[in-house]
Amino acid sequence: MNWTAIKSIYMFEMARFFRTIAQSLISPVLSTSLYFVVFGAAIGSRIDQVEGVSYGAFIVPGLIMLSVITQAISNASFGIYFPKFIGTIYELLSAPVNFLEIVAGYVGAAATKAFIIGVIILVTAFFFVEVQIAHPVAMLAFLVLTCLSFSLLGFIIGIWAGNFEQLQLVPLLIVTPLVFLGGSFYSISMLPPVWQAISLFNPVVYLISGFRWAFFDTADVPIGLSLVAIAGFTALCLVVIGWIFRTGWRIRS
Amino acid sequence: MTSILTITNLQKTYAGGFQALKGINLDIEQGEIIALLGPNGAGKTTLISTVCGITTASAGQVRVAGFDIVTDFRAARALIGLVPQEIHLEPFETVQNTVRFSRGLFGKKSDPAKIQDILQQLSLWDKRNSQIRELSGGMKRRVLIAKALAHEPRVLFLDEPTAGVDVELRKDMWDIVAQLKRGGVTIVLTTHYIEEAEAIADRVGVIAKGELLLIENKASLMKRMGKKELSVQIADPIAALPDSLSGYDLELSSDGRALIYRYDTRAKRTGITALLADVAAAGLALADVETRQSSLEDIFVDLVQSEGGTS
Ligand SMILES: Nc1ncnc2c1ncn2[C@@H]1O[C@H](COP(=O)(O)OP(=O)(O)OP(=O)(O)O)[C@@H](O)[C@H]1O
Ligand SMILES: [Mg+2]
Repeated sequence: MNWTAIKSIYMFEMARFFRTIAQSLISPVLSTSLYFVVFGAAIGSRIDQVEGVSYGAFIVPGLIMLSVITQAISNASFGIYFPKFIGTIYELLSAPVNFLEIVAGYVGAAATKAFIIGVIILVTAFFFVEVQIAHPVAMLAFLVLTCLSFSLLGFIIGIWAGNFEQLQLVPLLIVTPLVFLGGSFYSISMLPPVWQAISLFNPVVYLISGFRWAFFDTADVPIGLSLVAIAGFTALCLVVIGWIFRTGWRIRS
Repeated sequence: MTSILTITNLQKTYAGGFQALKGINLDIEQGEIIALLGPNGAGKTTLISTVCGITTASAGQVRVAGFDIVTDFRAARALIGLVPQEIHLEPFETVQNTVRFSRGLFGKKSDPAKIQDILQQLSLWDKRNSQIRELSGGMKRRVLIAKALAHEPRVLFLDEPTAGVDVELRKDMWDIVAQLKRGGVTIVLTTHYIEEAEAIADRVGVIAKGELLLIENKASLMKRMGKKELSVQIADPIAALPDSLSGYDLELSSDGRALIYRYDTRAKRTGITALLADVAAAGLALADVETRQSSLEDIFVDLVQSEGGTS
């Protein structure tokens, strides 16, 4: 492994993040605050507790997931798409690094950024509602895994995308609906039985459920199933990345 | 002399089915400067990209200091620096950061003194904290060179380093190349300027339509270029050369109106005086004389039009 190269890519990407730290953080913090105002205060005052948790607190894990997933995908996809777009990818291709080292650098940086944003949203949440974390270690583990797996997905999207529209397409058309319908703002048990059954096909349900379990010790689906789901998703992304690595798909002509 | 780069039967067919390289063979010695000439679309960039790992070869083999570029890609690529034809740089990064990044990417430990050396050598030290977008085109090209040199490569590929560069900067570039050569770096550059190849290369190669038509020592090319052609036009056409002129290496033009004599301008005796005297003695009336010097450009154009035009 060329660790120096991985570190160089990672630091270079992180430097970009820190250079625009204000922009990078203001928007997630602001939008999270708005969610708390709208959902937590305005609507939440009319909703009783959900599974023994006040509604304002109940949406915290979902809100974090929503931001973290969006950020992980957009950071990672942009991170690798940008060098393709401006042509600096020539240097990555001519360097003594293999594809896995490139992935490690870019995905590592994207996941770190998403993680930082997730933590900041959690801190913001403390200003609005009272949140307790039942299983802190599990909470961190879920957060890290989510950052990683969706950064991997973002990386794949960035490699695949041929223009900026395509770069936005997958997050907009697939990921955002899945996240919104994945129980970010409600418990699956609040849905009619048919929709409950349909929801179980949404992978994000398992993520949010597991993450919420780490906070409140209650879950829509068994925690074991959540773990299997995120592990399976990560594995799937890794398989796709491995295939890209072998074939040079959309990278090397 | 040990060869640092060995290219054997290198072929490249792009996904669309276009064959851009048709079996290139090339052996480059350590410390040489090779200039590759060739018209647009000849395959120069494709050749460089394939050696550097940006595109994959369809067939053939490339070794850098004995390391295969596929099976030993780490060792091979660590020895190579590439300055691409197009300027690809991150506009918002600073000069120093991009150059440092390149060094790390190639697996070398950070070495601020080395980076300073390189930036000073390329007259970029004053601009080290400027963003790339604030630089002029010529400066950007030098940043690309600095990036390529950051990991101290032993072979440097320069793809049209002086395209769109003013005369002064071109001379600077030549100086930089000469300086690198003194430091033991092997340099392969492409260019459309024949005088550039003449000025700095040890050997000159000509590529057209994916084939290497010629690779020759500049000195021997110069010798060919040093040849002059004297055309002696005679008033009345003749069918054959008179016997009295058989001592000269003469050629009779097809219409029988001109005698073609080739000689070396740098030779002590060109033989022109004697030839003209003998022509007169043979009873041929001189109508006119004309001389023409062949240049690298002629050789180049001839090659590209004839051999390259077959496919
Ligand atoms: N990615 C690609 N896909 C398909 N064909 C390509 C690709 N890149 C180059 N070619 C074709 O291969 C041929 C050689 O191109 P190349 O860029 O190597 O030429 P060149 O000698 O560098 O020309 P120039 O002097 O204009 O830079 C051209 O016909 C070009 O159209
Ligand atoms: Mg070219």
